[in-house]
Parts: sequence; structure tokens; C-alpha cells
Amino acid sequence: MSEQFKPNIVAFLCNWCTYAGADLAGTSRIQYPANVKIIRVMCSGRVNPLYVVNALQQGADGVLISGCHPGDCHYMEGNFYARRRLKLLKELLEFTGVDPRRFNMSWVSASEGHKWKEVVEKAVEDAIAAGPFDQFRRRQIGW
Amino acid sequence: MDLNQLRKVAAEVVSRDDVKYLIGWRRGTFGYRVAPYFVEDAAGVDELIFSPLCISNLATYLTLVEKLPVPRGQEPDKRKVALLVKGCDSRAVAQLLVEKGVKREEIVVVGLPCPGMIDRDLLAEKYPETDKAAELRWNGEDFLLVGEGEDIVIPRAEVLAEKCRLCRHPNPVLSDITVGEPVKPWAAADDSGVAEIEAKGAAERWDYWEEQFSKCVRCYSCKSACPLCYCEDCILDRLDPIWVNRAVNFSENTAFHLARAFHLAGRCVECGECERVCPAGIPLGKLNRKLAQTVREEYGFEPGLDPEAEPFQASYKPDDPEEFIL
Repeated sequence: MSEQFKPNIVAFLCNWCTYAGADLAGTSRIQYPANVKIIRVMCSGRVNPLYVVNALQQGADGVLISGCHPGDCHYMEGNFYARRRLKLLKELLEFTGVDPRRFNMSWVSASEGHKWKEVVEKAVEDAIAAGPFDQFRRRQIGW
Repeated sequence: MDLNQLRKVAAEVVSRDDVKYLIGWRRGTFGYRVAPYFVEDAAGVDELIFSPLCISNLATYLTLVEKLPVPRGQEPDKRKVALLVKGCDSRAVAQLLVEKGVKREEIVVVGLPCPGMIDRDLLAEKYPETDKAAELRWNGEDFLLVGEGEDIVIPRAEVLAEKCRLCRHPNPVLSDITVGEPVKPWAAADDSGVAEIEAKGAAERWDYWEEQFSKCVRCYSCKSACPLCYCEDCILDRLDPIWVNRAVNFSENTAFHLARAFHLAGRCVECGECERVCPAGIPLGKLNRKLAQTVREEYGFEPGLDPEAEPFQASYKPDDPEEFIL
């Protein structure tokens, strides 16, 4: 391949922490890879595991979920539920043979613009290492 | 297992005014096969049996029953439903109670300690000509096939169902009435098939599941037979939003199976019904057992043991594992 593989990463960010953190990274002019497509959700606990499965089906090479640090959730406990749920999803995806590097989760607070940069860099690095993910792509139905 | 004792207890239960019917097993229409049986009055109890082929989980029927709207002016039927449960079935009932899928006062649980069940496919494979035999019984550790000439002793290891090999709770975890003596739990085998798959590389695992999921015809038997798949509004039936497309291809099949397994994470009681009814022979039990194992080992939680417990995915502990989080 002459051109380097540019992964598509879907990021589900919590409105109160990581989205603000990513915003801070932007306003502070921190340079980070442009491979993440951010979807803002109100809480990391809002992320239905099927969102992740659907993202992978629709051509994402990696998924990143990020929310507030435990204890800092705007809704008191949303990220605790997310943690349990997404741990199980990670195990399940891994068990079915999806490269574990395609699934990343992080806690990034509103003041951690630099951490957001590191997280994105790590996710992109992981997705590049895992390669394009075409096996699971949803087939277009054509008649 | 003394069938007379079971029938006597069943007769007492169905004769009660507050019991609508009792769900049990009776002989099927062919050979040694067994079918579910709804007993409505004491006269019907003579057909009840409990044999090593009573593998089906009757707890499914608690939530499968259609709840018709009550006509104006009529009182709803508040009578209880009685059912026979083995160890694994009783865990399903306990989990239903945890989730408030059924209420405790709606059911009468008749517990039957279970010495282990036969996998009928294995039996048919190893003893193909015994189809027409009338009866199967427990014979100490082993099984005894009666009818058609000589009785045949079938060694336990040959035909024991996989879920029973791995069984850790052969005695009912909850019951109003227990019939028979508790059995001694046997040493559960370790070969749940999970470690074997985990030992493979990611690409190999993907290939394995690709082969398995490609067989799926999306009949949703696994969902129908599962005692814990009872949402009235299932994501698989919804058209808006459509979570999993209905197309039968590998991508959608995989999404479906991931969704199904995930929805049972921390809830599955490993009764093995999904795998048993699957017409394509997909090892669904392995997916369930993998998640059950994670929940057990990482969170120290086992569903269906305590009807007062909190549902696993609707609770949390501040110190849950989070080593995977950046």
C-alpha cells in the first residue's frame, strides 16, 4: 500500500466531561489525529453496546468510548454502569475474534485536553495496528 | 425418583383453589420422547413423569403465556401457576424473580433434585435403534433404557447433556415443595469449551465464529426457548429504530448473536435451552458461558442463586475492574 491506512474511529463522548475535554483540546490548539468521528451522547452510560456493534458493522475500524472519571458523573452513577457493561462487551467482542485493539474506553475529564490527545493517538495507533476491518461490514442489499 | 410421590404432590397442588394449572412433563407421542404437559386437574396427574429426558426448561412458559386483556367488568384470573423445576430451571425462576418478570405470589415452585439429563441427540447417535423404547430411567449413576426386549444400561458419561456435565447446582435453589432427596452435586467438568476458543488467536476465533454464525437461519428459536428472553418489546422485533437488520447474512447474524449473548450477560443461568433448540447447531452455550465466566470471576456474581439479589447490569460497585480503561 503506497498510502498509509487511515482508520475510521467512532468516538462516543459524554457531554459533560470528554466532549468538553475534546473542546478544550481544540481551543488550546492541541494537534491530534483527525481520524476520530465524534458522536456526543449525554453520558457514557447512554452508550448502548449495540451502538458499538453497529458502528463496526457500518465500517468503523475502531470505537472509542469516553466519559467522566468514576465519581464525577453528572448523573452520579452513569459511568459506573457503562464500565460494567462495556467490560462485558469488550470480553464478548474479543471472544468472537474482534481484535481487542479496536475497542477502547477512557475517562477524560473536561480539563484534560492533553489526555484526550493521548487517548486519540493511542486509539489511532491501535486501529492502524489492527488494520482495516472489512469482515464485519454490513452488506449493501442490492437488487 | 419416585413418580408416585411426584404425582401425589402434583395432585395436591393442582387441587388447590388458588392454582390454575401445573406445568410438568409427560410422555411424548413417539418412543421415549418427552413433551411439556399442562395439568389442569387432579385427574391428569397420572400422566406426569420425570425422566432423564425431561431436559426442557419449563420456566419459559411462565413468561411465554399470552396475557389477554381482561374484558370490562371481569376480574383478572389471579390464580397461581405451579411448575416443576430442576436445579437449572429453578435458577431461571430465581432470575425472573430478581427482574420482577414474575412475582413470587404468582407461582408455586415444585423442586425436583436432578441427577443429570440425557442429550437426546447423543442418545440417538449412540443407540440409534432404541428410538421406539418406551422409557428411560436413572439407574444409580447411569441410565437404564426399558422396553423393546432387554433393558440396556447406558453409561452416564456417554449421553450426559453438556449443561449437566458442567452443572454446579443440581438441586433447586428455591422451591415451595421439594419432591425426593437432594442429590449430591457432582464435580463439574471444566471443559466448558470457553478456554479452548480463548486459546486460539483472534483471526482463528473470528473464522470459527464466522463458520458458526453463517449457519444461522434466524429462526429465533434461541430467543423463544430462553426463559430469560421475555421482553414484550424486543429490539429484534422493532422496525424503528432497526437495531439488527433482518437480512440473513454473516454481518447481521453476528450482530444478532452478539446482541442476544449480551442481553443475557449476567443473567444467563446456563440452562442450555438455546443451544438445545438451535436447528443449525450453533454452540450458543459457549458465548453464554464465556460471559457467565467473566461475571463470575471478575465480579464474583452468579445469577439466579438469590431471588433478592440486584440485577447484575443494573447495579455497580465503585471498585469494579477497570484495567481496560485508558
